This record gives sequence, structure tokens and C-alpha cells, in this order.
Amino acid sequence: MLLAQQNTPEPPSSQQPPMQQGLPAQPPPAALPPGPVIVLDPAHGGTDPGARGPSGTVEKDIVLQYARTVRAGLERQGYRVVMTRNDDSNPSHDDRTAIADNHRDAIFITLHVSSTGTIGTARAYYCLLSSPLASPASSTVVTAGNPPPTLAPSGLTMWDDAQRPYHDASHRLADVLQGQLAQLFSGSPRASTGAAVAGLRAVAAPAVAVEISSISVPDATSLAAMTAPLATSIVKTIVLFHPVNSVAARQ
Amino acid sequence: MSRNLKITLAILAVAVAIGLISLGGLRGRIQRLAQSQTSEEQARREVLAPPISTPTDVTVTARVYWAAGPDRTAPFEVKLPLSADPVQRSKQLLHALVTNPPTPDQRTIPADAELLGFYILPDGTAIADFSDALASKTPSGILSEQMAVDSIARTLEDNVPGLHRLKLLIHGQEMDTLAGHVDLTGFFDLNPPANSGAAPLPGNRTTPQPMTVPATRPTRPSQ
Repeated sequence: MLLAQQNTPEPPSSQQPPMQQGLPAQPPPAALPPGPVIVLDPAHGGTDPGARGPSGTVEKDIVLQYARTVRAGLERQGYRVVMTRNDDSNPSHDDRTAIADNHRDAIFITLHVSSTGTIGTARAYYCLLSSPLASPASSTVVTAGNPPPTLAPSGLTMWDDAQRPYHDASHRLADVLQGQLAQLFSGSPRASTGAAVAGLRAVAAPAVAVEISSISVPDATSLAAMTAPLATSIVKTIVLFHPVNSVAARQ
Repeated sequence: MSRNLKITLAILAVAVAIGLISLGGLRGRIQRLAQSQTSEEQARREVLAPPISTPTDVTVTARVYWAAGPDRTAPFEVKLPLSADPVQRSKQLLHALVTNPPTPDQRTIPADAELLGFYILPDGTAIADFSDALASKTPSGILSEQMAVDSIARTLEDNVPGLHRLKLLIHGQEMDTLAGHVDLTGFFDLNPPANSGAAPLPGNRTTPQPMTVPATRPTRPSQ
């Protein structure tokens, strides 16, 4: 599958990205400041509940609550925010990815709640990419000095390889985010983790996943209490990671 | 008291006595049945996936990755008879990974998961085909799913030379994700070269102080 060529002009504001059912009305185009578009992805939804807690709490509801709060915090800082869902729908991974890929300057953050892990900790993940072999019959691994082509002859980016040019940026973003999370979620690791998180590989933008531990808290209000520190961590991360545009966005 | 009433009471007394006498036996049967159910998984595994032994088996100290706390995996040294043949060796290692965690809490792969097949392609691609239980019984979440994949990948990486990448199949099929989070449509690097530009597998590669596990441990029952 091929992805639309990068750096394509952003679609007119009246043209909604796919799968935005239930989103509140966006500000008029003239009011949109410059700067990155933050794509917030509350994972799961619809018939896919994600992780289930002992009291019936499901991941899809918690992450939607998280995303709405993060969105409000980012918008207060002047960022443009798009959510991949704002209701109980379940867009496919490709539909979620396409929302980020349709913007020229996007940052993609997918939100999760785990079913395991030390309760009260949080982790930031960047996409773990495999090293394609040089040829099917060769045992030589492609190295950084001889990277595999990510562009098709037509100049289009391969859909499943779209994250590769953004790998280092995503890693940096995840490290900044993990640093913020570690300050507010005691016991969290200091460095981010690479993982083959579904849906990140096709994002043609800096992309990270955040996962809170865990849905197995005995009292679901504990998960709600994590909303504010999570939003604070993400907002601070975006401001640190994209300071120029964040300043521009406030102007 | 009429004669019929006396007879009825006598019959009831006899029935109660018989019930009390048989109660002990019934309880014993229930206990035996429960014990047989506990070991059912173990017995099924012994029939379907007996420990693999080959003529080239040599007992060595292998490094098997199990959970070291709720958030990470770590190598554990365990004495295992391992084959010189890489395919058989890999099967033996993965069998140990699934069946012999030091404690149930250190399990990274569901007890019901079975390795249905294992192949190595000429380019060093290892293909591990697990039963449905790997997908259906691994706890949902990036952390738990990545720990499951990590334990498989790094156990192979540390003990089977010549492998470059790993592909995980579920019942012979490529799945989108393991349990909703970790992408199984791609490959997982094994022994990535230092300058490959590929991200390292998660976990701390600089703390290779493995924990030693007794060589002879019984197969643990399922969690």
C-alpha cells in the first residue's frame, strides 16, 4: 500500500479528516493558528473494549476521558488538536493513521491503559522497527549505512514503512514524554521503550504511545485521578518538543 | 404412633445413615476429580508436546527470559539439554519458556499456549507458530504483550546463533496484533548489528546478570 506523498498541502479546513464522527465543531479556518496538529488517539472503541478492569471498567472509556482532557489542555496552549474518535466508534488503525498522515505537520499520540504493570506508573513507547533483510536469500542485514528504500519508484512512501524516517524524532518525543511522566507518576521508568505498537508503523509523523498501568486498580476512581497528571505531562512534552510552533501558535 | 409412620421413619433413618456413610466417599471422589483437573493441562501438554530430546542433546546453561517483576523481563540461567540442531534447539528453549517459569508470577507466555511449529528460513528468519491461546490468553496491553514477545525473542537471541529476525504466527496465520496492541504483521529483530539503525529490543541489555534457576524443577501447573 502506498501513502500519499509527504508534505502535501493540508486539506482545506472544511474537509474533515476521515472518521471524525461526533467531534465538536472546529473553529473557522481563519482562526486556526499555525503550528503542528496534535492527533490524539483514544485507543479501541466500539466493540473493542481493550483491557477490562475488575469493576467493569474498560480501557476504551478511560482513554476517551483522558484524550478529552489532554485536548483541552493543548488547546489552551494554542495547539490545533484532532481526535481520531470522540465517541464510542472504533476506527481502524489505518483510518486513525490517515488522520495524522493527512496533515503536513502532525504529532500522533495514542493513549492506552494496560491490564498489567505496577499500578500508578506510565510508559511512553516509540515504534520498534525491524531491519529488513537485504534480500530474501541473503543473510546480510540491511544496516544504517545501507538503508532499505522507503520510497516507491513513483515517489510515494510505502504505507507500512512511513514511520521509518520519523523514527528518531519519535524516539526523542517518547524520551521527553517519559521524562515528564516519571516526574508525576512515581515508579515510572526514566527512559522510553521501543515496542511494535500497532498503528504507529504507518504514521508519517513523530508518533508515540502512552500506556497507564493499570486497569486492574481496585477502585476505578484511581484511574480518573491519573487524568490530570497525564494531561500535564503530555502538554508539557508538546511545548518542549515543538517550542517554535507552540510559540507561533500562541501569537 | 401408627405402624406405617414407624416404618417411614425407619426408612428415612436408614437413608440418612447411608447418605452419611457415602458422603465421605463422595468427598474423596470430588477431591480426586479436582486433582485430576489441576493436572489436566500438564497431562495434555505431556501428550501433545512432550519434551523434545535429540541425539545431539548436551546439557548447557541456557538464558531464558521470564518476568522479573511486573514491568520487565530478565534472563534466568537454567540447565537444559539442548540440541545442536537450531530448529530442535529453539523448540526445546520455547518449551522450557512456556512450561518452566520459576514461579507462576514470572510467566510471560500463557500456560495453555503451545508451540505448534518452528521453522528457520535460509535468511535467518525464525518462524514460531503458536496455538490460539497465545493471543487469547495474553493479558491485553502494550506492556504485557511486548513482554511476551520479548521473552520469546530474547530467549532465542541468546541461545540460538544465526537467527536474524522472528516472525510470530498464531495457528498458522499472520495476526494483526497479539492481543490488540503489539503488531504481529512485521518481524522482530534478533541479534541486530550495532549499526543497524534498528531500535533495540526493550529491556536493559546492559544488565546481563542472570538469575539462576534450579536445573530440575517439576513442570508447574497452569496458573
